[in-house]
Amino acid sequence: MSFREKSAWIMSAALIVGGLIYFLPVLSGWTGSGQLPSPLMPQLVAYTVCLVTIAIVGHIVITALAPKEADAPVDEREKLIFDRAGHYSSYVLAAGVLVSLGTYLLSANGDLLFYVVFASLVASHLAEYLLQIVFYRTSV
Amino acid sequence: MGRKPPITNRVRELREQHGAMTQAALGDAIGVTRQTVIAIEQNRYSPSLESAFRIARLFGVGLEDVFSWDE
Repeated sequence: MSFREKSAWIMSAALIVGGLIYFLPVLSGWTGSGQLPSPLMPQLVAYTVCLVTIAIVGHIVITALAPKEADAPVDEREKLIFDRAGHYSSYVLAAGVLVSLGTYLLSANGDLLFYVVFASLVASHLAEYLLQIVFYRTSV
Repeated sequence: MGRKPPITNRVRELREQHGAMTQAALGDAIGVTRQTVIAIEQNRYSPSLESAFRIARLFGVGLEDVFSWDE
């Protein structure tokens, strides 16, 4: 497995764990009280700290295991993989933006708009890393 | 996505004929990662024209001695 595929696995894990940390309390609050909780800064800070910590520690580990690979420039196949993954993940973000706009038009709820936009951003990044993994393992 | 390119190659065979050159050594010589060499050998990736020429020149053969169109 190449350094950058390992990196994509780490970022996918970081986004999934961070997303669960952020969205699980929101969903449980919503289903528990029937009222969508307002976005709070401490939750965002916890999400950011979790994401950054997993990313930094993970990359330190994989760099220590293969320092030469970590220093190697991106090659032609990897550029193609990143371009394609970025292209397809942009559709996820676009779909999320459309859903966000529709959600706000129907509900006029700013809190819900924030959550849907934020979830779209996380989902598009996750899609980008997962597609990189798929393309690394298949033909491009 | 997932479709194999219609180009086959003899990279693995030529690499083994040249003193059992490793995939990593070939990758270093032509400027790609070992994983990309593996993908080329398994016909999961068709290299750029520049890399194809680098491979052919490294083995001292013509381009069509390395790559062929699979009808």
